[in-house]
Amino acid sequence: MAAWDLSVTVEDLGLDAPPVTISVASDLHIGGVILKLVEKTQIKQDWSDHALWWEQKQRWLLRTAWTLEKYGIHADAKLVFMPQHKPLRLGLPNGITLRLRVCFSNPVFQTVMGICRMLNIRHPEELSLLRPIEEKKKKKDKNLAPEIYDLTEVPLSSVSRPCLYNGMPAHFADSPEMEAIYKMLSVSQPPPAPEVIAKQYRPASVVDKAHINGRWLDSSRCLLQQGIQESDKLWLRFKYYATYDMDPKYDAVRLTQLYEQARWAILLEDIDCTEEEMMLFGALQYHISKVAQSEPQIMSNNPAMDDLDSALQSLEVKMEGEGSSASDLLENMTAPELTDYLKIFRPKRLTLKGYKQYWFKFQDTSISYFKSKEESIGEPIQMINLKGCEVAPDVNVAAQKFLIRLLIPAPEGMNEVYLRCENEQQYAQWMAGCRLGSKGKTLADSSFQSEIQSIRSFLAMQKTNSSSSSANASEESINTHSLVSPRYHKKYKPKQLTPRILDAYQNVAQLSLTDALMRFLQIWQALPDFGLAYVVVRFKGSRKDEVLGIAPNRLIRIDLSVGDVVKTWRYNNMKQWNVNWDIRQMAIEFEGNVNIAFSCVTADCKIVHEFIGGYIFMSTRSREKSETLNEELFHKLTGGHEAL
Amino acid sequence: MDDIDAMFSAMLGEMDLLTQSLGEETVPPEALSNTKKEVNYSIGFTDLNESLHELEGNDLDALMADLMADLNATEEKLATEIECLKAPSASQPDFPPPPKGLSIEPAPSHISPSSAGSRSSNVSTPVPSAASSLAPPPPSGAKPTTEEIEAQMKADKIKLALEKLKEAKVKKLVVKVLMNDGSSKTLMVDERQNVREVLDNMFEKSHCDCNVNWSICETNPELQLERAFEDHENLVDPLSAWTRDSENKVLFQERPEKYEVFKNPQNFYLWKKDKTTLRDMKDKDKELLIQENFCGTSIIVPDLEGVLHLREDGKKSWKQRLFQLRASGIYYVPKGKTKSSRDLVCFVQFDNVNVYYGKDFKSKYKAPTDFCFVLKHPQIQKESQYIKYLCCDDIWTMNLWVTGIRIAKYGASLYENFKTAEIKASNSVWTNRSTPSSSNQSTPSPTVKAKSPNQANGHATKPQPGPISQNPAPPPPPPPLAEVLPPPPPDPVLPPPPPPMAAKTASKPTPPKRNQPNNFPPPPLDMDNLPPPPPPPPTDDHLEAPPDFLPPPPPATGFNSLPPPPPSFGGVDHSLPPPPPDPVSLPPPPPDPVFVASGAPPPPPPPPPPPPAAPVATLRPAVRTSGSLKKVPPAPPKRTAPTQGGGGGGDFMSELMLAMRKKHADQ
Repeated sequence: MAAWDLSVTVEDLGLDAPPVTISVASDLHIGGVILKLVEKTQIKQDWSDHALWWEQKQRWLLRTAWTLEKYGIHADAKLVFMPQHKPLRLGLPNGITLRLRVCFSNPVFQTVMGICRMLNIRHPEELSLLRPIEEKKKKKDKNLAPEIYDLTEVPLSSVSRPCLYNGMPAHFADSPEMEAIYKMLSVSQPPPAPEVIAKQYRPASVVDKAHINGRWLDSSRCLLQQGIQESDKLWLRFKYYATYDMDPKYDAVRLTQLYEQARWAILLEDIDCTEEEMMLFGALQYHISKVAQSEPQIMSNNPAMDDLDSALQSLEVKMEGEGSSASDLLENMTAPELTDYLKIFRPKRLTLKGYKQYWFKFQDTSISYFKSKEESIGEPIQMINLKGCEVAPDVNVAAQKFLIRLLIPAPEGMNEVYLRCENEQQYAQWMAGCRLGSKGKTLADSSFQSEIQSIRSFLAMQKTNSSSSSANASEESINTHSLVSPRYHKKYKPKQLTPRILDAYQNVAQLSLTDALMRFLQIWQALPDFGLAYVVVRFKGSRKDEVLGIAPNRLIRIDLSVGDVVKTWRYNNMKQWNVNWDIRQMAIEFEGNVNIAFSCVTADCKIVHEFIGGYIFMSTRSREKSETLNEELFHKLTGGHEAL
Repeated sequence: MDDIDAMFSAMLGEMDLLTQSLGEETVPPEALSNTKKEVNYSIGFTDLNESLHELEGNDLDALMADLMADLNATEEKLATEIECLKAPSASQPDFPPPPKGLSIEPAPSHISPSSAGSRSSNVSTPVPSAASSLAPPPPSGAKPTTEEIEAQMKADKIKLALEKLKEAKVKKLVVKVLMNDGSSKTLMVDERQNVREVLDNMFEKSHCDCNVNWSICETNPELQLERAFEDHENLVDPLSAWTRDSENKVLFQERPEKYEVFKNPQNFYLWKKDKTTLRDMKDKDKELLIQENFCGTSIIVPDLEGVLHLREDGKKSWKQRLFQLRASGIYYVPKGKTKSSRDLVCFVQFDNVNVYYGKDFKSKYKAPTDFCFVLKHPQIQKESQYIKYLCCDDIWTMNLWVTGIRIAKYGASLYENFKTAEIKASNSVWTNRSTPSSSNQSTPSPTVKAKSPNQANGHATKPQPGPISQNPAPPPPPPPLAEVLPPPPPDPVLPPPPPPMAAKTASKPTPPKRNQPNNFPPPPLDMDNLPPPPPPPPTDDHLEAPPDFLPPPPPATGFNSLPPPPPSFGGVDHSLPPPPPDPVSLPPPPPDPVFVASGAPPPPPPPPPPPPAAPVATLRPAVRTSGSLKKVPPAPPKRTAPTQGGGGGGDFMSELMLAMRKKHADQ
């Protein structure tokens, strides 16, 4: 067979180096080509990751046993010899950018699996890559280039089987720097500065939200085929909102990143919520960041066990010693005393005008008050049982106003009572007591001290907010504007937000870090619009654009003019769906002879196809099979036509 | 705390007394025949409320005293009846009635070994536990040293004392429950019991079909409201909110809407679809809906939105508003605003309110329709601006909203409740088929029991995995299983439940372990005023020869043969010769299982002969193991009042135990 010259660009020789020309015959297999190439370059290095890329056809020549003839390669082919794994800048949900080596030759689905293995994220099928929104470079932002954390040194071989060491993959345990990176992945970030939130792109409408979904990469093709070059930036995001088998014990990174994605979705109004919900999200963010900063490496061990251990230890200490009688033990169970002069005001009653001072005593779940301390032995003037009451703070540190608003249920309705405290310390104690009382707990409850503590830290937050401008918030305190979306920056001042968030905070203040993260996710998942990916489509026979919402269990059709959901189709009623790749139209048939067809406007129909197939795939996962990912099925459901 | 201190030292003193007198103390305690008290037990709920209110400082002890007085009075009347039935048995004059709901318990050191003995017999050994309570139980393992014994005793004492303290604080109510047919049943509910347990109780008493629709409901005639309690709720709490002059009632009735959402989830989650689609929904799809909405990481609330009529504050008029239900509360769309979430105004959040059905609001409040529901704080009992009244166009919408609100408020608990109720229902069918004995209806309870503490403790955050289709699988209901369960918590030493219940409870809350503490039965509170109680059943004297003396099963019905038989059970089975003892009067059973299992209890002095209650309880294992009796075994212990579930105390106790065990190990 006749020999002919094949020129191949070898990337390792440099961009400007001329192509290496080798003499080949058409029956030479790709492996032979590579061998010849390597010999010719005279470079001694590990070439095992290298492969040939056929530029004109945009395909990798990965089958080394195939001959040039079989691939259809002739002398005019422009081939590039390069590594399959190249560095990529990867934006994570928490806003951190990593530089790591990813596979450019396998389908994106496998690339994501590789990334997730490296980052210790289980269930990579729920994530995917998308092209980031172009950042508008402003001149003054130049010095604010975000730091990039380099993971390219991680040997690829170590990624194949993640074995945990100290609760993290072994490659993260190598050096303190790597450990720091892992901590950044697995511990939620402190709340962003309000300006950072305000600066970020926020979708203003459903159509805006639809555009982001046009950016998802095709899971069945490789990065290079989709025009992604070395060191390009991509985002790694949870794509399918069907979180499966979340176990905080193994999913430190996954849980944290999902929380970060949810948090940003809330902050950037990617998903709508009510004001009340926003306050609760704010309170949870505050709590999570506080606990995350104070609790080092919580994920690796079980906090509940620690509690028990320490409880046992303290018990043992108490049991030691000569006089360890039961009454001693009992002593330890008794509630701390809480008595003081406070001022009371009943807004609804005419009998008491203004605030009056009495001697107050906290007992069990009730507050009693007396004329004075000396008379506190006898019958109280009144006893207020706090159980089931509503407690609201009304605090202004700058104005030294420490008010506890109580809404006490009674058979006739709710009675409003305000308690006025003199100072922070007093307020924190009585507020904590009132909160416990409203939950039917006494001061003996173990959470009393921590409750006081959390109230004080929240007050501290208000203090800094009111005294200094929000910009230079110290590390200790958090600007409340960091916890809510920009909409509320305009609506409320930070000090107006504080009591509202504090109000919501009292219900979550006792949660552990994991519980708080889970609670945040639960509330997020319970939002009506949760999990909806929007695409602007044109239904067959319709003259106007409409929006198709793709949810984990259904498709919805939204009328753009009204903004209302006009139709819902559930996947479990779906009989089949087809894509006509020529006219780029999707046709779906549901049970009961319901047929819909639409063309996609803001995203490729492959993306829509993949979304639907992907969700159907997610629903096939079951507990038994959870260990192995059925990749074949995923591609079958999402791959689409070969013609791609 | 001073009171508790005082009580505590008093108790310790009494305990010491008891320990000293242990040697001679062989007198079995009198059996209190509760069955008799029916007539006198007319303490309605109103009375109780009165007393409750008189003691505003929720001085439960005083309440108990009140109750005791009532009881004692009634018992005097019964004295003669009892006397002709039973020979007087020695009462225990040494011990005054334990003060205020506190019962004097046998010294703990005696409890542990004997209960351990009974435990083993429950599980495997064919030796009737009665034997172990007669003879000194074999020392378990190596003989403990004296120090160990002392330490153990001390630990036990502390534990017991703490237990008592907890027990003393437990609030109990006598509740009159109205039945569908207009009759009523009265039962004792303690604050640790949840509605599920009360329902089980009612199932026992009413012989109903136990289907999932049965509910305990509360009505408020003044506000014309009613609401079915959720199964995981505690009953005492909401009832304590009633006023003294309240005409509120507790009903036991079937409410199909209670769990409708799990039977036809499509009606709630796909309510926008047309009616035929909803009706023809396939079971598979229904299951999927439940899975999606109740088995995920978060509970999904039905997506409700619609125009409802809102009663304006203070005015007589009703105004239409567009409302939206979300997991976080009910919102409405303000005038001139869009439906977008950010514009919604919060109407109510569910933390502090319950949802009630309004009755006949058309005439009461001039509502547009009679399909109204109300949101209010459970403690509000009278007209108030804090009550929110909403009116729907039809009953369907009303049920949609009320159910939606319940899902938002109770979340996973609702589904847990349903699954438990379903197991209950299917078991009752199962057992009813296999054993004709009505008392066996309760047999499935073990399965449920295991769960109930969780529910009582609040929201179960994680729904149990697995499709509902698995639920109907009837768990093994045989009585033996039940006996392996943890012993019931210390039983109320308070006035025994009213008669109908007493008859039933006679068999059910008497687990085998019951007999252990009886070695030292504290005198029932009401003893003083009673004539000598009936003698223990003859079996007592010959405990070793058990089967012959076994009361003919089912004992539950047997008990009813006692003279003033409760109407419901009258003349079921008169074959039982000795009047069975009343379990309620018995001292609390051994402390909770954790403690029992703690191991290495010092060998106790030979326990005195068991009290009358023993035959029923102790012989049961014999029946089972020997198989000498073909009769249906007695109903297993039915409900365990949640020892552990009752507040945080349980955890503390087990921690204490662990700590002590650890200490021993160190020595």
